[in-house]
Amino acid sequence: MPYGRRALLSFAALLALSLGGSAALAPAGAADSTVTISQGVDPVTMDPLKRTITPTTNVHYNIFDTLVRQDREGKLFPWVATSWKRVTPTVWEFKLRHDVKFWNGDPLTSADVKFSVEKIKDPAEGSEQGPRVATVERIETPDSYTVRYITAKPTAMIAGYPWQVFIVDSKYWKEHGDDVGHSSGYQAEHPMGSGPYIFKSWRKDEQLVTEANANYWHGRPSVDSVIWKPIPEAAARVAALRTGETDLITNVPAQYQLQLAGGRNTRLTSARSIRVLFFAFNTLKPGPQQNKLVRQALNYAIDVPAIIQTVLGGRAYAVNTPLPPNFVGYDPKIPFYHHDLAKAKELLAKAGYPDGKGIDMLINAPIGRYNKDKEIAEAIAGQLSQTGGHFTTKIQEWTTYVNFTSSRGLTPVYELAWGNNSYDADNTLTSLFTSDARLSTYANPALDKLIVDARYETDPKKRQAVYDKSLEIIHDEAPWLFMFQYEDLYATTKRLAWEARGDEDIFCDEMKLK
Amino acid sequence: MTAFLVRRAIGAVWVVVGVAVAVFLILHLTGDPAAVMMPPEATTQQIAEFRHNQGFDRPLWVQFGSFAWAALHGDFGNSLRHGEPALGLALERVPASVELAFSALALSVVVAVPIGVLAAVRRNSLLDLAARIFALIGQSAPVYWMGIMLILLFGVQLGWFPVSGIGGIKHLVLPTVTLGLFTMAQLMRLTRASMLDVLKADFLRTARAKGVQPLRLLWHHALRNAWLPIVTVIATELVTLFSQAIITETIYAWPGIARLAVQAIVDRDYPIVEVVVILAALAFVAINLLTDVFYAALDPRIRYE
Repeated sequence: MPYGRRALLSFAALLALSLGGSAALAPAGAADSTVTISQGVDPVTMDPLKRTITPTTNVHYNIFDTLVRQDREGKLFPWVATSWKRVTPTVWEFKLRHDVKFWNGDPLTSADVKFSVEKIKDPAEGSEQGPRVATVERIETPDSYTVRYITAKPTAMIAGYPWQVFIVDSKYWKEHGDDVGHSSGYQAEHPMGSGPYIFKSWRKDEQLVTEANANYWHGRPSVDSVIWKPIPEAAARVAALRTGETDLITNVPAQYQLQLAGGRNTRLTSARSIRVLFFAFNTLKPGPQQNKLVRQALNYAIDVPAIIQTVLGGRAYAVNTPLPPNFVGYDPKIPFYHHDLAKAKELLAKAGYPDGKGIDMLINAPIGRYNKDKEIAEAIAGQLSQTGGHFTTKIQEWTTYVNFTSSRGLTPVYELAWGNNSYDADNTLTSLFTSDARLSTYANPALDKLIVDARYETDPKKRQAVYDKSLEIIHDEAPWLFMFQYEDLYATTKRLAWEARGDEDIFCDEMKLK
Repeated sequence: MTAFLVRRAIGAVWVVVGVAVAVFLILHLTGDPAAVMMPPEATTQQIAEFRHNQGFDRPLWVQFGSFAWAALHGDFGNSLRHGEPALGLALERVPASVELAFSALALSVVVAVPIGVLAAVRRNSLLDLAARIFALIGQSAPVYWMGIMLILLFGVQLGWFPVSGIGGIKHLVLPTVTLGLFTMAQLMRLTRASMLDVLKADFLRTARAKGVQPLRLLWHHALRNAWLPIVTVIATELVTLFSQAIITETIYAWPGIARLAVQAIVDRDYPIVEVVVILAALAFVAINLLTDVFYAALDPRIRYE
């Protein structure tokens, strides 16, 4: 059999050679050290200071550098910055490496970091990354390799995301008419980075070609060339992987997991996602959902493990609070609301709704936004109906739905999933449970205070104690139907060594070919 | 003829203007993209600022005025998603779509017309039966399902053709067949029906009686008279092809304008949607005009006064 395969390979090589000049000109073995990655959509721009969508930033992570990187557990480690510390309560100082160069030879200095952050903060740019650096009031550069982030209030670094800023070549940008307060649009197609892969060419919706940066400060990456080739349709993505046209596919639907795991040439890789799915009660609008007993009762009425098994093929982990176990602030002592229909009915009766009489709730959900979002909402409605109450679903397209979430207009129950790539409680709790947060439909001044206290607490033990208390309140008050943390599924060809990350990032310099 | 063309061209302008107004209103009346575009942790104030910077908080008629004025100068604004001029983004995807649409149309005509003619001539034969079953399947099988089946069979199982992307002729095969199948079935049925009508006509019996060669009789006398409805359908099928291309381009990751439109709608990328719809309106108006002209060339009895 190995003999036959070798014969086939040499035949293929002959064929490739005979197919003409361009193939023959490629260096020997080039075809084998190329990795093709297929996400669902193409990146939208090569200007790394504008958008926040994952398929786009995944490409940017490989052609640009950031001050720090984050490991699989969410811990930050030095990258372009060799060290960082809080010098005063409002000043964070980063020391930069001296040997980082852009592809054109320009050295990467503190001026480039300053330029990049200011460009994002410039309102004229309309950058979506603005909220990430909102806590940064200004940037100082005492010397070429020192950067200081000055914040208005004392801020734990986790409150913003300064490390997610891609560093661009300020000299190159100015040469091409992209100064602060002005954008020529040139950068959208002509990036100049310092990252491990050099941008070569891009035909939109077709393919984007990058090549290993031989002079990369962290060493030349192992894979010679990486091609990003988007395939929107999941079934087609799976087919392309099976034929070997692509080496790595993202967003694999659970129904393909057996086929791909047992494939001759394919394997699965997965990671606990940073995304937690939940159904929130809109406690700001009138209705039975304002009664804590009703909310608790409905938590007892649902069977989360059953939904995970039947709808998601087992690819998710039930949560007891808004935080998954791999997050800072998680409290393992808090119990789960286990499925207990009798208890649910008892609580409903206590709340004044015997046999669910008088309960008529609409379950709002988006379609096509999260893995199986619509199916999960329908399953929940079915399970809740066991209480005797009346539950119906209202499914909307995401673009319509998201406008209602912004105005807190979805009621009494709505589905959302929250991705928090800081692996820290603050982002989740602040965004979803504090009284004045845009997406929060729960208000509790005592909880607000605890969340703020925890943000500015520097002793990790004391901080955890504050989170324990916050999570106890959230668990007892039950402003959500607590659901699960997703598991993200990827599949690769067997020749590619790469493991999935929970934060959905793809770093090609971590890849190896067997 | 010239007067007719001028009249039609003026009508065409109104059609395009009407389409532009309609698409603008539909898009802007259903909300703005600020909430979709900003990251989830953005505050209400940051969203309001973004909305203001993009000009979405101006009265609708002001927004339309500035859109129309700029559009007249060929400027449809920057894509919200890509941050580049929308017109350029749309135009650079036209060649891929045209390539796919015309190869699908060519395939349909080349296969459907001869088979349709033969099916009519050999009515109720085995060939006729096979053609009718093929047409039934071709018209009733959903493009989506057909595309996936072709990928699984010819791409994954047999490994004959690549399953996604654009490239050489090999990449063109599966999307062309998928996209062309519906049109092929439609044309085949129509050619057959149209030929059956003509074959019964008196002038054919006369031609046959005066001893015209059977093949010449078929192609010269019969088919020429059956052409008119077929040409009409071919022209309107280009419209069908565009709407079906939305699915085909998505399944086969074909970098065409229909796929761009789908993504733009999902993202509420107004400028792109507006450009694509207006370009499509222009294309359809032009096709219709060409069809009318073509009629006159095909059938000397048709004159536009």
